Amino acid sequence: MNTPARKTALPWVLLASGVLLFLLPWFWSRHLHAHLGRPALVTGWWLFAVMVFLCGFNARKRLAMLPLGSASAWLAWHVTGGFLTLALFWLHTRSLWPRGLYEQALAGLFYLLNFSGIVGWILQRAYPRMLTGSGVEIIYERIPAEVARLRGGAEAVVLACTRATGSDTLARHYLETLDWFFRRPRFFASHALSGGRKARAWLRQQCAAVRLYLNDAERAHLNRLTALAERKLEIDFHHAAQSLMKRWLLLHLPLAAAVMLLALWHVFLVCVYAL
Amino acid sequence: MSRPQRWDAPFGPDMTDAAVDRLLARPEFATIRAGRFPSHAPLREILRHDTRLVRFKAGDLVVREGDYGSSAFVILSGTLRVVLTPGLPRELLGRRPARRRGWWQSLAQLWRSRRIPEVRDTPRAAPVTRASDGDTTMLRRVFLQDVPAILDAHKTAVLTEGALFGELAALGRVPRTATMFAETDAELLEIRWQGLREIRRFDEGWRRTIDEHYRANALRAHLRATPLLANLDGPAIEQLTEHTLFETYGTFDWHVSYKRLHEEPAAAAAHEPLIARQGEHPDGLLLIRAGFARVTAKLGNGQRTLIYLGAGDHYGIDELYAAWQTGQPAALETSLTAVGYVDVLRVPTHILEKNVFPQIPPPPRRFAAAAARPLAADGLLEWLVDERLINGTRAMLIDLDRCTRCDDCVRACGATHGGNPRFLRAGATRDHWMVTHACMHCADPVCMIGCPTGAIHRAEHGGVVVINDDTCVGCGTCANSCPYDNIVMSVIRDARGAVLLDAADREPILKATKCDLCEGQLAGPACVRACPHDALQRVDFRDLAAFGKPS
Repeated sequence: MNTPARKTALPWVLLASGVLLFLLPWFWSRHLHAHLGRPALVTGWWLFAVMVFLCGFNARKRLAMLPLGSASAWLAWHVTGGFLTLALFWLHTRSLWPRGLYEQALAGLFYLLNFSGIVGWILQRAYPRMLTGSGVEIIYERIPAEVARLRGGAEAVVLACTRATGSDTLARHYLETLDWFFRRPRFFASHALSGGRKARAWLRQQCAAVRLYLNDAERAHLNRLTALAERKLEIDFHHAAQSLMKRWLLLHLPLAAAVMLLALWHVFLVCVYAL
Repeated sequence: MSRPQRWDAPFGPDMTDAAVDRLLARPEFATIRAGRFPSHAPLREILRHDTRLVRFKAGDLVVREGDYGSSAFVILSGTLRVVLTPGLPRELLGRRPARRRGWWQSLAQLWRSRRIPEVRDTPRAAPVTRASDGDTTMLRRVFLQDVPAILDAHKTAVLTEGALFGELAALGRVPRTATMFAETDAELLEIRWQGLREIRRFDEGWRRTIDEHYRANALRAHLRATPLLANLDGPAIEQLTEHTLFETYGTFDWHVSYKRLHEEPAAAAAHEPLIARQGEHPDGLLLIRAGFARVTAKLGNGQRTLIYLGAGDHYGIDELYAAWQTGQPAALETSLTAVGYVDVLRVPTHILEKNVFPQIPPPPRRFAAAAARPLAADGLLEWLVDERLINGTRAMLIDLDRCTRCDDCVRACGATHGGNPRFLRAGATRDHWMVTHACMHCADPVCMIGCPTGAIHRAEHGGVVVINDDTCVGCGTCANSCPYDNIVMSVIRDARGAVLLDAADREPILKATKCDLCEGQLAGPACVRACPHDALQRVDFRDLAAFGKPS
C-alpha cells in the first residue's frame, strides 16, 4: 500500500481497532460474568495494558534514533488508545464514579488526564492555523529577545518624537500606558481564548486616545509606534498559543505518571488481597 | 567609494609581471593570439588576475573524484598521476567512511549524547592535512602517505608538463571525474572559471582543446541520457556529438551575488542573463547540462514564470518541430533566462531537422499546461525560483498549518547528533510553508566548491552532502558559500567543555556542521519520523508535483 492510501485508510483502521479492542474484553467479561467468573480482572488488566501502551508514546519520542515507526502514527494510536481507555475504564468500574477514596482519587486523576489530553489535542489542531494566519513566525525561545527589540524600537520612536517636535505628549502617554504593554508579553487570556480581540481593542483605544492631542509630525511618530505595537500583538499571540501548546504537556505528563503509579498500586493491592 | 571591478580581488597574490611573462613564454600560452582579446579583458590581465601558481609536494592530492571545482589546471612542472577506475578508497580522499549503525549503537546514542555542545574526541579533532608552511602557494591539503603502495595497487595514468585538466568540472559545474595526485613535486597553474571562459571564448586553440575533451569524454553519454534523444540511432548521435555547441550563462559563483540580491526578488530576476527571447527565432535545441533556467512568458507588463528547467531538461523543441512540420518560420513562445549559472548544449536546427525530427514523435507542448494554470498558482513557483529553493533535493519543508512548534524534530535531530541539532526551525516562509535552515543537499552544491580538504562531499550513495569532521579544517569556505545559511561553523570542545584551541595561534578550532540527513542512522532522517503531526517532510523541489504532499 502506498503512503497516501495508507494515510487515507488510517482513520478507519484506528476506528476499527478501537472498537475491536473494546468489544473483545466486553464480550469476554460478559462471558465471565455469565459463568460466575471475575470480569473485573480481565477488564482491569486490559485497561492497564492499554495505559502502558499509551506511555510508550513518550518513550518513542526519546528513542528517535530507533526505527520504531513515525511519531505521527504513534500519536494517532495514542489518541485512539486514550478514548479506548475511557470506554475500558467504564467497563472496568461499571460506573462513572467508583466508590472508595483510593479509587475515587484514581478515577479523578484518570479523568483529568483524559481531559488534559483532549484539550491538548484540540489546542494542537486549532492554534497552528491561527499562528500561520498571524503572518509572523517566531521561535518560542526568541520571543523575549523580540519583545526587547520592539520595546527598544518603541522607546527610540518616542524619544525621536520628543526631540523632533519638542512635545512630550506622546512620551507621557507612552509612559502611562504603552510602556506597560511593551515590557513583556501581555493579554495572555485574550490571545489564548479569542485570538487577541480584547488586546487589539485596547491598543486601538490607546492610540486613538492620544491621537487627538498630536500634530501631524507627532502623528507620524505615533503611526510608527502603532506599527511596532501591532507586531507586538502578533508576538504576544505567538507567546500565548505556543505557551499553551507546550505547557499542556506539563499537566498531561505528571498526571499520566500519577495515574500509572496509582494504577500500579491498585494492581498490587488486587494481586495481594483480592486473588 | 569606487564601484567594485571584476579584478579587484585577484585569484592569487603572487602573479607578478615576471610570473605572467614566464607564462606567456610557455607553449600553452605563446600560441594564443593576444590581439583577439577585447580591451576590457586582455590575455595578460586574465593571466594576472584569474590564475595563480600552486605547488604540490609528492603525494598531495590535487583534485578528488566527486569534488566540485571552479578552476582548471595546467601542469607547469612535475608529473601527476590520474587514478583510473576504480578510484582510491574514500578514506584516502578525506571522505567520511560510510558506516551504518546497528541497533545497539543507535540506542547507545541515548546515553552518549552530551550536555556540553559540540564535544569532540580531542585526538581526532586534528585533520590529516599538511599545512602550508607559510608558503602562500602551498594550501592546506590532504595528502597520500604511501604513494608507491598506491601506484602498486591502483591503475593510474601519467600527466606531464603542459597538460590541461579539470576544465570540464570548472566550466560545466559537474563533479570531478577522477582523482589526481602529485607523483613528484609539481608546479601548476590554476585558472579560475572566469578566466578559463574568456580564454576559451577568444582563443580558437583552447576552445578546440576544451571542446574536444568534452566531446570525447562526456557529450555522447549526456546526449544518450537525454530522454528526448534516447532512441536515436548511432549515426544520428554521432552527428549531434560532432555539431553540438557549448554555452554557459550566468556566473559560476552565483551564490555570492544571490546573497546580495535575494532581498529584492525583482532585482534578482532582472539580473538573470537572457538565453533565448520570446518572439525571436530559435537557432537550435537547448539542452540544460547543469544549473537552472527559468522559462517565462510575457503577461501584461511583466514576465510570468511558467516552469524552471534543470539538468537533463530541454528547451525549444516545440517551436522547432512545429516549424519543421509546417515549413513556417519558428518563433519562440517563451523566454529562457539563467537562474544563477547554467551550462547549455545547443544542437543546431539543421542537425535536428536532418537527424532527430524524422526519428521522434511530435513532442508534447510542455509549457501549455503551465500557461493555462490560474495566476494565483504562480506565487509558489515564483517564490521557489526567486529564493533558489529549486536547488534543494531534500529540503526540509514544514507545513505551518500543522506544525505545533513543539520542536520534537529539533530534539530528534539532537538525539541523533550527539546532542547537537543540525538545523534551525526557522527559514524562508510563504503562505503556510516554511523551508527551514536545514541543508537541502542541493542539486548544485556550491558549498562543495573550494573545500581545501574535500571534507564536504557527497556520500557514497544517495547524493547526500556530508562533512567529514575529521578532515574539516574549519576554514568556513562552505559556510560562506552556502546561499541559504544552512551550514554553521561550530566551536568545538573537549569532554569537560573547554573550547579546543589551535596550538599555533590559540584561536578556537571550528568545524563546519550541518544536516547530514541522518546518514548512517538506522532509521533515516529522525526529524521526519519525529513529527507527530506529519507537518515536516523532506522534499525534492525538482518534483513540484509532489510539493506539499505527505512524504
